[in-house]
Amino acid sequence: MRRVIRSAVFALSAGTTVALLALVSAQAQAPSTVPPSVTFAKDIQPMLEKSCLSCHSADLKLAELDLSTREAAMQGGTHGAVLVPGSADRSKLYRMAAGLDQPKMPMQGDALTSAQLAALKAWIDQGAVWETSVSFAKDIQPILASSCLNCHGESLQLSKFDLRTRESALLGGQHGSDIVPGNAEQSRMYKRVAGLEKPAMPQQGTPLTPAQAAAVKQWINDGAKWDAPPASSSATPAAPSTAASAAIAGLMERPITQEERNYWTFKLPVQTPPPAVANRNLVNPIDRFLEKTRADHGLKAAPRADKNTLVRRAYLDLLGLPPTPAQVQEFVSDQSPDAWENLVDRLLASPHYGERYGRHWLDVARYADSGGFEYDIHRPNAWRYRDYVIKSFNQDKAFTQFLTEQLAGDEMDYRTQDSLVATGFLRMGPRVLFREKDNPERRYDYLDEMLGTIGKGMLGLTVNCARCHNHKFDPIMAKDYYAMEAALFGFVETEYPLAPPDQAEAYLAKNEEINDKVESIRLQIDTLEKPYRDKLNLAEVQKKYPEHIYAAAAKPEAERTPGEQLLAVQVLTGVRASVVEVEALMTPAELARKKELRAEQTALLKQRPKPLPMAEIVTDGDYRFQPLALGDNTISCPKCRIPPPEGGSFIHKGSEPYKVPKSYFLIRGDVESKGPEMKPGFIGVITNGNPPTEIPRPDGRTSGRRLALAKWIASPQNPMTARVWVNRLWQKHFGRGIVSTLENFGKMGALPTHPELLDWLAVEFMNRGWSTKQLNKLMMMSEAYQMASVFEDADSIKNDLENRYLWKFRPQRLDAEIVRDSMLAVGGNINLAIGGEPIFPYIPSDILLGQYRGKWENTLEGPAAWRRGVYVYQRRSLPYPMFDTFDHPDLNAMVGARNVSTVPTQALTLLNNPFVLSQANWLAERVKREASDPYTQVELAYRIALARPATETEISIGLDLVKNRSLESFTHVVLNLDEFLYMR
Amino acid sequence: MSHGRSKNFWDRREFLFKSGGGISGLALASLLGADNLLAAGPAGSDACAAAATGANPYAPKAPHFKPRATNVISLFMGGGWSQMDTFDPKPALSKYAGQPIDGKVRGDVIVRQGFPGPLMPSPFSFKKYGQSGIEVSEIFPHLSQHVDEIAFLRSVYGRSNDHVQGTYEMQTGQINLGFPSVGSWVTYGLGSQASSLPAFVVMTDNRGGPLGGPNDWSAGFMPAAYQGTLFRSTGDPIVDLKPPAGLTSEDQRARLDALAKLNQLDMEKFPGNSELAARISSYELAYRMQGCAPSAIDTTNESDATKKLYGIDNKVTEQYGRQCLMARRLVEHGVRFVQVFAGGVGNQNTDTWDAHGDLKGNHTQHAAEVDLPTVGLLLDLKARGLLDSTLVIMHSEFGRMPISQRGVGRDHNPGAQTVLMFGAGIKGGQVIGASDEFGYKAMEQPISYHDLHATMLHLLGLDHTKLTYRFNGRDMRLTDVYGTLIPQIVNS
Repeated sequence: MRRVIRSAVFALSAGTTVALLALVSAQAQAPSTVPPSVTFAKDIQPMLEKSCLSCHSADLKLAELDLSTREAAMQGGTHGAVLVPGSADRSKLYRMAAGLDQPKMPMQGDALTSAQLAALKAWIDQGAVWETSVSFAKDIQPILASSCLNCHGESLQLSKFDLRTRESALLGGQHGSDIVPGNAEQSRMYKRVAGLEKPAMPQQGTPLTPAQAAAVKQWINDGAKWDAPPASSSATPAAPSTAASAAIAGLMERPITQEERNYWTFKLPVQTPPPAVANRNLVNPIDRFLEKTRADHGLKAAPRADKNTLVRRAYLDLLGLPPTPAQVQEFVSDQSPDAWENLVDRLLASPHYGERYGRHWLDVARYADSGGFEYDIHRPNAWRYRDYVIKSFNQDKAFTQFLTEQLAGDEMDYRTQDSLVATGFLRMGPRVLFREKDNPERRYDYLDEMLGTIGKGMLGLTVNCARCHNHKFDPIMAKDYYAMEAALFGFVETEYPLAPPDQAEAYLAKNEEINDKVESIRLQIDTLEKPYRDKLNLAEVQKKYPEHIYAAAAKPEAERTPGEQLLAVQVLTGVRASVVEVEALMTPAELARKKELRAEQTALLKQRPKPLPMAEIVTDGDYRFQPLALGDNTISCPKCRIPPPEGGSFIHKGSEPYKVPKSYFLIRGDVESKGPEMKPGFIGVITNGNPPTEIPRPDGRTSGRRLALAKWIASPQNPMTARVWVNRLWQKHFGRGIVSTLENFGKMGALPTHPELLDWLAVEFMNRGWSTKQLNKLMMMSEAYQMASVFEDADSIKNDLENRYLWKFRPQRLDAEIVRDSMLAVGGNINLAIGGEPIFPYIPSDILLGQYRGKWENTLEGPAAWRRGVYVYQRRSLPYPMFDTFDHPDLNAMVGARNVSTVPTQALTLLNNPFVLSQANWLAERVKREASDPYTQVELAYRIALARPATETEISIGLDLVKNRSLESFTHVVLNLDEFLYMR
Repeated sequence: MSHGRSKNFWDRREFLFKSGGGISGLALASLLGADNLLAAGPAGSDACAAAATGANPYAPKAPHFKPRATNVISLFMGGGWSQMDTFDPKPALSKYAGQPIDGKVRGDVIVRQGFPGPLMPSPFSFKKYGQSGIEVSEIFPHLSQHVDEIAFLRSVYGRSNDHVQGTYEMQTGQINLGFPSVGSWVTYGLGSQASSLPAFVVMTDNRGGPLGGPNDWSAGFMPAAYQGTLFRSTGDPIVDLKPPAGLTSEDQRARLDALAKLNQLDMEKFPGNSELAARISSYELAYRMQGCAPSAIDTTNESDATKKLYGIDNKVTEQYGRQCLMARRLVEHGVRFVQVFAGGVGNQNTDTWDAHGDLKGNHTQHAAEVDLPTVGLLLDLKARGLLDSTLVIMHSEFGRMPISQRGVGRDHNPGAQTVLMFGAGIKGGQVIGASDEFGYKAMEQPISYHDLHATMLHLLGLDHTKLTYRFNGRDMRLTDVYGTLIPQIVNS
């Protein structure tokens, strides 16, 4: 302390002359303008702090003057009073600052500006009111200790917000800036503690009193000063760790109310008998439920559609292909009472049914052939999953099995190649696949993406809303989320040969053995070359870099400064001499040895087994042993890398049963804020009975957790699964779900328009062995499905303009792929080959060239490109433009129903796109082949494209165009008709 | 001008009559409404700038409160521009040159590629400019003359040091895929002022599109109507705008006439089909776009002085200058949001700001490309009275590291970048926030991309907490649950 005072005195005397010299000019600066309102905290206190308190503080008290409080200031110093409230002219404090008395103050540092002097004068003239400004130590620190630091202090930094120091506090948390000094209204901290923004803080314990909130406001407005040592939460009686666990427990535990449990969606569906209705012709239970609702709402059902409309509807719906004229004729001329049923059966048996209904599932599975992001990594075997889905629909696989294979195909008792491919479902989401090891937090995003897809796709629940907090609207708890995360936590992504198990294992082992040997030889060659390479590399550095960089690189490592070491490593690793240069320097003996090693390497590579087809699968393993992949060679963040535990392996080996790596409850979803370790589990509110959360596997190679999850989902005891799927099917047939939000059956989702029908269908579905095709047929056999869409009824329009209660058939815009398929089909060109590698229809080169990475092997128009849309390569970084225009869903997120938009770019595509024009030309060719005169040609074009005869007026419009322009003009117009683009 | 206009006008009426004639639905009424507006418009206004109307997805919507600006031009400096070599001088880099950064800054130092180097001073000198005395690097000799008209946000930080994730975050607020871009949100929130052009236009660099591709201007989970429309720099601005060679305009006319007649028959048979009305209207829009899109970006009639202002007379500045001039024209034509990408992916290290290797050469080149034209845009907008109603933001996906990479380059750094904002009545000559001593991380008033987005929406009269879109049962926001307005921008 003594030393401090001495140096301050020294500074004082040194500054005196300077201050005196400045006197003359300061005198001229008379205060010019008086600020309208001067406040102590805003105007005076900062001035005192900056210019006065360094000498006249309670500690130093130079000239016995202490300006730190009003009482002290009023006592004055060795020269008497300095402050006369009401008269600045009589106050030494002002007079000396203004240079009216000597010595002028402050003695060191900048003189007060004229604005500051004006403020000081005004303040004293106005009474020198020393508003007790908020003191951090007295007023704020205790609030922090009692209400904030439990969660934003030493033990926990929820939302990454840390209130221990001013520095950490001003950095804000994961929500960004929380304190804007000088602006409480813009500061989240104030808004939250004042209850102006939700969630109000503190989340646990009692809210701040109005006085406390006001103090926080004042404190922030005053600049959020922090004039006390770093605080800890020790002011509270409980030990920090106890307080922290209490805070975590508060986050985790929330009881589910009876009312929440009783929400319709969480109760198991029950089949109520179909209601009796007046129209006794309505035998299909679906129609009886619908008719009852129509009657309740004063609606009149449309009559049955004509047979041409029906046959086109059935083909487009079940196959996504328009019927040929012959197929139309077959149905129209079939007068038997079973004609419709036969048609439906025939179409359900078609291999193209799987392409159409499988594609609906691919929307759920966010299927794509590339990983997205910068590298947009090609997934060479993703298509096998697509084919698996198509095949499963064609086989009418029980939906329970279908789901189980996708979640746990590797864990099933009857594991097959198909069930392995099916696990691709879990890894279909976007993946960065670059530098994954330095970004371990991404794994949690991937898990979240999986949970979101399972939740919305299979359960109709927005499970991933519970990642950071309990779900805001549904009784889904954050701990449910992390229990489900634990069920998936063992997942690793790998490639597995599609071969019988023994062969597959042998194949993997052999390749691994060869890889190891090849790697060891590579190292030997490297060692041989190293001295020469190092020398050449250094020469290269000399050529490329400035002298000081070369100098650092040229020094022996021990002599480099730490900075030079960094520099040397980065430049030396950045150059690589060519093999030719290196070999030119090697001795003959070394060259001979290298040749030998090379020969060994070549011989080894020849031993590689013939490549087997591979599946991209998910199985259990230990992600910490993930082999190095793109970008992992350089360690850019050593601390981010998770050290693998001793004795483990990526895919489980050995005799001990596999153990899932530990996973934790993450507080506020923050990867770095671990709560308790989690056991696998499910969503409490929809769990009935006591289903197992792990089904141990006889081979012990996986945990059986995903299998248990799958069994819980694919179960009649789960109230969601069957409902959600039958609702999706209903939407495909009728254009709108009974619950219109297909992906959300929770509180924020829509209510069912026909709740009893939905439950009846869900139970029926389960009773019929979870058969999708039977449900397809049941729905299509209803009268409702066969209603006309062109039907006007004044009362019905008045009572239900939106047709929510299905009084007529709802026309549906063709899906993007089906727009293209339909053009190919009517152009007579469609290549109906099923399955296999994806296709790359033509994309203009300037669009492709604008892209950095990613695969697109442009195919010229022709049979290879004329396959169905379901086979078009799904590239995340570049969705096929025509599909994009027609509302193909975003490839990156599970969607409910596809959007249907009507935008000018669709018109431009249909008018000008070369593919569309060429298919119009092909249609004209086809028509010309089959009909010779313009009249029949126009007539036939209608039959082919719209599955109906044209009217005379339509023919005459068409004939006009054919005569004045060409048949191609007319066929192009047909492809632009609204009717062509719609299933009516 | 008036000659061209009346021809366009009558063609359009004729098309309207044929496509919509006989229907008395919403579409026709609103299209006629557009005509009335057009007829009453000031002399010199052209058909392309007519207001959008009810039957199309771009119909204007009222903002939440009185906006400061109605249009946005976003100038995206792809690749990651370096703050300490442009607008955020760091003398400490010279002081500690050649020393490791470890221990000098808070937290871990994470590089993205290669090995971390020592602290590296800027190869460029800085000087104070203007009344405000804001320091700018020597590589911006033009921009530096206008610091008093520009706000410099020195504490903007992102979450990813990956180009694509950083770009997604700047464009959508999220580092993951599947979210609508800020242009989509603005279009969704406000609609368009022009009926004949898309509301949200994207222009990419001749050297290639930005990393991340169309996802950078995607509508994510929103309908496709809100996604950005890519305007190409050569040929027809929009893909499939015009019929391919071999199809004459007479032929197309005849096809459209026949289509209109058949649609009319359909409408008579099926009067309750509102979608059909919308489809007829979409053909009308498409037809108008064919005329308007090329003329909106046709710069041949711009004066030589204007072209010079944007540096179109100079090879170095021509490409970006043209983008800026087109941006101004599009704004004049009522396009709501113009997204310009400067820097393409032809060769990541030289064609973008991504200076991993030779920082000096790279930034000298890229600054030279954008310096003059950006000022040209500022001056031109001002001269035309558009500056106050147009928000211009100049930014990147992240800043760069204070330490070297490969000896003379800098690696990615999401911890801090300097973002420039002008127009929209924003007070110029102010520095907002600060990065730490070395420019490694935002230190004072850290500004997240959510904060930027919240502020941009605010200037356009939109409350970022109220602009929501229901998806998967949740009212989604551009700013998720985050976003704090930047007081110095919204209050200035």
